[in-house]
Order: sequence, then C-alpha cells, then structure tokens
Amino acid sequence: MDKKEVFLTAINNNKGIIYKIASIYTNGTEDRNDLMQEIIYQVWKSFDTFNQKSGLGTWMYRVAMNVAIYHLNRTKRRIPTVPIEGQFLDFEDEDNSAFEERLQIFRQLLDNLNLLEKGIVMLYLEERSYEEISIIVGISVSNVGTKMARIKEKLKKQITKKSERWK
Amino acid sequence: MEIDDLKNSWEDLNNQLKKGKDLNPEVVDQLTKSGYHRGLNKIIYPERIGAMICLLGAAFIGFNFSKLDTTFFQVTGIVSVLVLFTLSAISLISIRKLNRTGDVNIPYAETLKIFAMKKMQFLKFQRINITLSYLLLVTIIILLPKLFGGKDLITENKYLWTFSFSMGYIFLLYFSKWVFKSYTKTLRQTEELLEELAS
Repeated sequence: MDKKEVFLTAINNNKGIIYKIASIYTNGTEDRNDLMQEIIYQVWKSFDTFNQKSGLGTWMYRVAMNVAIYHLNRTKRRIPTVPIEGQFLDFEDEDNSAFEERLQIFRQLLDNLNLLEKGIVMLYLEERSYEEISIIVGISVSNVGTKMARIKEKLKKQITKKSERWK
Repeated sequence: MEIDDLKNSWEDLNNQLKKGKDLNPEVVDQLTKSGYHRGLNKIIYPERIGAMICLLGAAFIGFNFSKLDTTFFQVTGIVSVLVLFTLSAISLISIRKLNRTGDVNIPYAETLKIFAMKKMQFLKFQRINITLSYLLLVTIIILLPKLFGGKDLITENKYLWTFSFSMGYIFLLYFSKWVFKSYTKTLRQTEELLEELAS
C-alpha cells in the first residue's frame, strides 16, 4: 500500500475520533467542518512523522487534539476556508437531529471544564486507559487519576443540573 | 445518571458515526495541491485591515509633513507616525503568531502551555494597543485641522477641539472598558489553565 492508501485507511478507521473532537472543540457545523478539514490536512502533513511507538489511534488523538487547540485561536478570526470536496462523514438522507442534540449536550457538559480537563475526559469517554491518556496528554498516570477524580466531581454536579434533559 | 453512564451515550455516537461516509480518495489529491493551504492564508482579518489603515495614516502624515510648520506640530506628527507604525506592527505580529500551527506531534499538555502563553502575550499586546490609541486620539485631533486646512485647532477653535477630544475620549473609554472586561475573564481562565498545567 502506498502512503495515500495507508492515510485513507487510517482516516476512515478513525473518522469517529476526528468528528467527535471537532464537535467538542467547536460551535456550529461550519466551524466543525473547518476543523475537520484542518485535522485531516495536518494528519496528512505529519503522517511521515508517525513513529509507530504508539498506536495509530493514539497518535491520531494527539494530532487532532493539538490541531483543535491551534484552531481555537483562529476560530473567531477567519472567514470560511477553502472547502474540501467529498462529503466526508456526511449522513445523507438521515435524520441527524437526535444525534446532533446529544452532541450538543456533551458539548455543554464539557464546556464547563478547562481545556486540559476537557481533553482528559474526552479520552476517558473513548475508553482509553490511564496509560494511553498519559501518553497523549503528556502528564503522569497518577496525575491523570487525580485529575479524573476532580473532573468526575465537576461533571456529577453538571449532570445533576441537566439530568432532566437526558430522560 | 453517573459519569460512567455517559460512556454508553458516547459509545452510541460512535455507532452513528460508523454510518457516515468515508473520506474520498480525491480529497488527498486536493490536500496535496499547493493551493489548499495558500487559500487559508488569503483570509481577511479585521486586524489586517486595521493595520493597513494605520499604515495609510502614517503615510499621509509623512507626505504632508511640510505642512507642520512648528516644532510642536512636527513632534506631534512624528509621535503619531510612530504610534501608527507600532499599532500596525502589533496587529500583524499578533496575527502571525496566532495563525501559526506548531508541532502537532507534541503532547497535548505542551500544546496547551504554548496556547496559554500565546494568549497571555496577545492580551499584553491588546493592553498596549489600547494605551497607544489614547495617545493617538490626542495627536490626531491636534494634527488633522493643520493637515487639512493649515489651521491651528488649539488656538483657533477651542470649542471644536474640546468637543472632538471629549467624544473621542468617551468612545475610547467605553471601548477599552468593554475590551478589558472580556480580556480579564480570558486572562483569569488562562492563568488558571497554566496553574493546572504546572500542578
């Protein structure tokens, strides 16, 4: 397989990661699509630097989350970018409103956390181990545990407030 | 509902996402085209327009410098040009720094540190910008009548000077209050993030 094929397989196997990260770090469809494009572009650009020390998924999380942070600075400062044609992750002919509503609730819950906590909890929800979270985030495993305990407390309060919406 | 119940809900999202279309192979061709990211750089920013206005203002004062016939006006003109250059330089440097995507392979916490430091620097630049704007307000009000009609505003029309200065000052006062109110919140959040990263 050439680089292009490997890249396409990697992106398509991890498209959920890209979509969810882009959804959590942005507000609105246009901005989300913009970030998804930027993540795909940066993954392509740095694809040769993937050293296989960690799994491809772990590496992809790191790249996507880092790009999302850089994107935050630009979000309010630019007009829409050059669109990539191809309808990536488009849910044609499907009612997406329930899905979008659920994402919106997640976004609201996580918006009350700072960017470090937001990143950690998102990886936790993705069922990544504390070791993997430690590698992606770059803090010790024990620190991940400490921060997770604090995040759970914060989220518990948030969930209590919003529990009615989940029924 | 507990946090672990959120995982199930999150997992449901994954199932939905699997139904989404795959990335089209043509997209890779588009990404490799040199035009893709060059397109991003053509984006118009308010800061860029502001910087252009500042540079045009400085050029205008420079071309009409001969109309400034006393030392007082000449010094005021030089100060104005320097302030206008500084304002435009600050804007352009800020944009460049904010626009740059650094190494995306480094750990997330490292990127957050860079992000927070950039934000702090940007806030400092904003403070300098506001302070310089106050100075510019005074110098421009003094210079404009001289540059356009050769008049000395201070001695010839005290009322217009008082009115213009007051209006400009009130506008800047409210504008800077609004800016600092939003930036104080951002500054606090950024400092908290840096503390969290250091712990």
